[in-house]
Amino acid sequence: MNRKSDVMIIGAGVIGCAIARELAKFNIKTVLLEKETDVACGVSKGNSGVLHTGLYYPKGSLKAKLCVEGRLMFPELAKQLDVPYSLCGKHVVARTEEELKELKDLKAVGEGNGVKGLTIVSGEELKKREPKMDGLYALHSPVAGIFPPYLFAIALAENALNNGVKVHVNTEVLGINQLNNHFEVTTNKGVFYTDIIVNSAGLYADKISSMVGLDNYMLYPCRGEYLILDKKCNGLINSMIYPVPPKVAGVLGVHLTPSPSGNILIGPSAEFINSREDTRTTKEKAQQLIEGAKDLMPSIPLNEIIYGFSAVRSKITPPEEKTSRDFIIQEDLENFINLIGMESPGLTSSPAIAKMVVGMIKQKMDLKPDHDFNPIRKRTIPFREVSRDEQAELIKKDSVYGEIVCRCEHVSKREVLDALNNPISDKTLAAVKYRTRAGMGRCHGGFCLPRIVELLKEEYGLSAKEIKLKSLDSTMFIGKTKDLRADKKDE
Amino acid sequence: MSKIDSRAVDLVVIGGGPAGLAAAISAKKNGINDLVVVERNDWLGGILPQCIHDGFGLEIFKEHLTGPEYAQRYIDEAKELRIPCILNCMVLEISPQKQVFVASPEGLVCFNAKAVILSMGCRERTRGQICIPGTRPAGIYTAGVAQNLINLKNVMVGKNVVILGSGDIGLIMARRLTLEGAKVHAVVEILSHTNGLPRNLQQCLIDYGIPLMLSHTVTRIHGLNRVESVTISKVDENLKPIKGTQKTIECDTLLLSVGLIPENDLSTTCGVQLNPVTRGAIVNENLESSVPGVFACGNVLHVHDVVDFVTIESEQAGKSAAEYVLGKQKQLERINVQAGNGVCYVLPNSISKNSEIELLFRVLCPKEDASIGFFDGEKLVKTKKFRKVHPAQMIKVKLSKTETTDISELRVELLKK
Amino acid sequence: MKTEMICIGCPMGCYLTVECDGKTIKNVEGNRCKIGLDYAQKEIINPERTLTSTVKVKSGHLPLVSVRTNQPISKSRIFDVMELLAKVEVQAPVKIGDEIVPNIFDSGVSVVATKNISKKK
Repeated sequence: MNRKSDVMIIGAGVIGCAIARELAKFNIKTVLLEKETDVACGVSKGNSGVLHTGLYYPKGSLKAKLCVEGRLMFPELAKQLDVPYSLCGKHVVARTEEELKELKDLKAVGEGNGVKGLTIVSGEELKKREPKMDGLYALHSPVAGIFPPYLFAIALAENALNNGVKVHVNTEVLGINQLNNHFEVTTNKGVFYTDIIVNSAGLYADKISSMVGLDNYMLYPCRGEYLILDKKCNGLINSMIYPVPPKVAGVLGVHLTPSPSGNILIGPSAEFINSREDTRTTKEKAQQLIEGAKDLMPSIPLNEIIYGFSAVRSKITPPEEKTSRDFIIQEDLENFINLIGMESPGLTSSPAIAKMVVGMIKQKMDLKPDHDFNPIRKRTIPFREVSRDEQAELIKKDSVYGEIVCRCEHVSKREVLDALNNPISDKTLAAVKYRTRAGMGRCHGGFCLPRIVELLKEEYGLSAKEIKLKSLDSTMFIGKTKDLRADKKDE
Repeated sequence: MSKIDSRAVDLVVIGGGPAGLAAAISAKKNGINDLVVVERNDWLGGILPQCIHDGFGLEIFKEHLTGPEYAQRYIDEAKELRIPCILNCMVLEISPQKQVFVASPEGLVCFNAKAVILSMGCRERTRGQICIPGTRPAGIYTAGVAQNLINLKNVMVGKNVVILGSGDIGLIMARRLTLEGAKVHAVVEILSHTNGLPRNLQQCLIDYGIPLMLSHTVTRIHGLNRVESVTISKVDENLKPIKGTQKTIECDTLLLSVGLIPENDLSTTCGVQLNPVTRGAIVNENLESSVPGVFACGNVLHVHDVVDFVTIESEQAGKSAAEYVLGKQKQLERINVQAGNGVCYVLPNSISKNSEIELLFRVLCPKEDASIGFFDGEKLVKTKKFRKVHPAQMIKVKLSKTETTDISELRVELLKK
Repeated sequence: MKTEMICIGCPMGCYLTVECDGKTIKNVEGNRCKIGLDYAQKEIINPERTLTSTVKVKSGHLPLVSVRTNQPISKSRIFDVMELLAKVEVQAPVKIGDEIVPNIFDSGVSVVATKNISKKK
């Protein structure tokens, strides 16, 4: 393995992957390091998956600028990278006359940030578009959209890899030594050398930053929990439904988000916690989400909840502060670019952040375009997304498409095999789940889990103990059926 | 030119488990030759091949058979009768016109069926659906999945286990895990009584000294990558956790046996109306759903406790489907059947006047010396006494021709005294 | 001495109260039929259970074959039988009823297969 690079990106969340893909356009050596078994394992996995309009951020802020830019870049990128999305729009609902004032403020902020097409509609008009919603007024943003955030990160990383970027998972940065004109980076997989470091380590960006002596950053972990409704609820809402934002810095309030798969997300909550590892769900927040959802849509079918999950935001705003802080994207040390506090709208902004960071790198080194750069990346065609005629065609061409492994989401064996064969991650159940949706349906692996386990054993020769849920320590089984008796014998 | 292979067929049976096999065999015996069974696994028998314990076949064969042995009887009979069974295929959709779209490595087939029998069985309720708070590590399994993994896939799910839910599956798995050398620390049950058969209490828990914690539930799961422990709390009469009663049990595995849900996703694609209580189709005594020519039987209709009754019910469905296809269906005046006080549900949901019918129902709560009343409006037309009734045990009552002649509706109730 | 037990003879599962003097039964209450009486007798003197489990298969279309004791065995020997079965491996093909372990621990009871396993293709 060649351990020398021109640019090293630490952290393969959506921002790190976007930067990697942007750098792949140039004839330089780029390496992307990730401590987990796959890309997008942190914040980039657990969020609402929203392409934000740009309503909430003060004019002139990086958040405002990069959100709008990123959003405008997204459709072209999504087309190149084959990422499913829907510009379903968004309604921020006012239930009182006071809240109408806030809607007008939001509209003004949005327009000040260059957003077009924002309108305030009446309660009757809202009812026509969203029969399940009651409100006095609503601010409509037609440009907002929804997409699976992890699919975007995976696509960016794969395209970067295909264009020469080296991606190393299971590689945790332990220390950084600044030498004369380069960095010596110690990881659990040995030492790497690089001229420039981009710190996009998300929840751990402050730790990475302190490894080069920049320890003035403080991250405040803030957990967000979600509940997911069965995809049969598809159509209950046509756009994203938000309340007027509550008075907590950077928090948008419990909202309802549809998704391209048909599921509806309720959430997120916002709770400052002690440990950034504490991604559990709680009874209290689930209750709050349910109340928030019922408040927004009284007829919401709560008996159709199929799952709850959570993720931790890396906020640089302490709990006492009422207004949010801006992104920190700066070269705090020569050749060391820090990205700190990349909370919402980090996802939407990611393509623009990547361009900005590459712009910073251009100032420091000669970036010659790589004429062989191929911007196109195709995913395996999901069986469920095509028509019956197209499904028949797929099977005729490739019989493996005809074996349906996940009943709830109609995921074919072809998709599962391609997910397991992906060039970046370990062969885990999560790698399959996030790429194919197998295990995300209402039975949550009831049918597909034993099938995928059998596949891992038969086609990939994994032993029972080697099968992981997601991380290296998430061992699914203790061995074969008779092993406990065999172990007892040895004791 | 469409690559979809269209085939006309008299009858498609969806699911090759005990329900589907019995229905197909019965349909064949009642005159249908042009039929096909479609099965998503690469074996026939449905859930039975993983149910390696005995207790099956007592009613029909008067023997104590294991699941695989019971299944084999019907697999053999289906083979003898030369009933075509397609394995390793998945039904994607049933249109309201009874077009059944099936995907398999051989291609996409559209069966244009005259009749369809729904026998897809059920799925298990998941952790996510009951919203257990805590982390989402490896080591959380529903009991049926664990049973599949241990008995069919040759993998052992864990070493130190806590089981939530004392229905039969939970109890059977408590024993299974113990026999294979795991330690089952407790079976936790939110209700004040177990839903499983009393004999399973004896032979699965008492025999092995496994504690049964009634009126308790799991309130939190711990462990980031793998389960490390669970928190158990006592619950009050409203099944809400009581503050201050938390206990932590160290374990590496949590097994969930918290309910079965009839798998009716396909049924809704063809417009079949579902009963929100059973979560299965609304049917008449022919087991015909609200869509003419679409029949339902087995666990997909309502969750059974005894497979022998699945077989008997499915044989009826097969016969009815045959009558439908052959144009022999009798059109009689119908009476609606409802569940009244103290009764969870009754099947079928409508019956023919002037015919001998067997009603199946479940009560809401256990009771000794119970009386079940059959009402036509306010009029009590029949009473039946039972020594003991329990929600876990399905009750069958026959109504004679005379009893169904002069009534206009029927309601089944648990009488107060 | 009074002992409580649940009869496992049929799905009814009667709760029995058995009064006994050592291994002699004085009285049985709670049974609805003779099966309960026989069960109580056996439980006091020498409790027995039918054991079902799995055994490893070599070259089979499945890695395990389900098995059962063809008659109930002494409850005290259940774990000994499980230990023994953990070390057994049978060669495919296997048919229902095939004797996997004849006359286990000289009890006259055999462990037989309850599933057909064909040779792996």
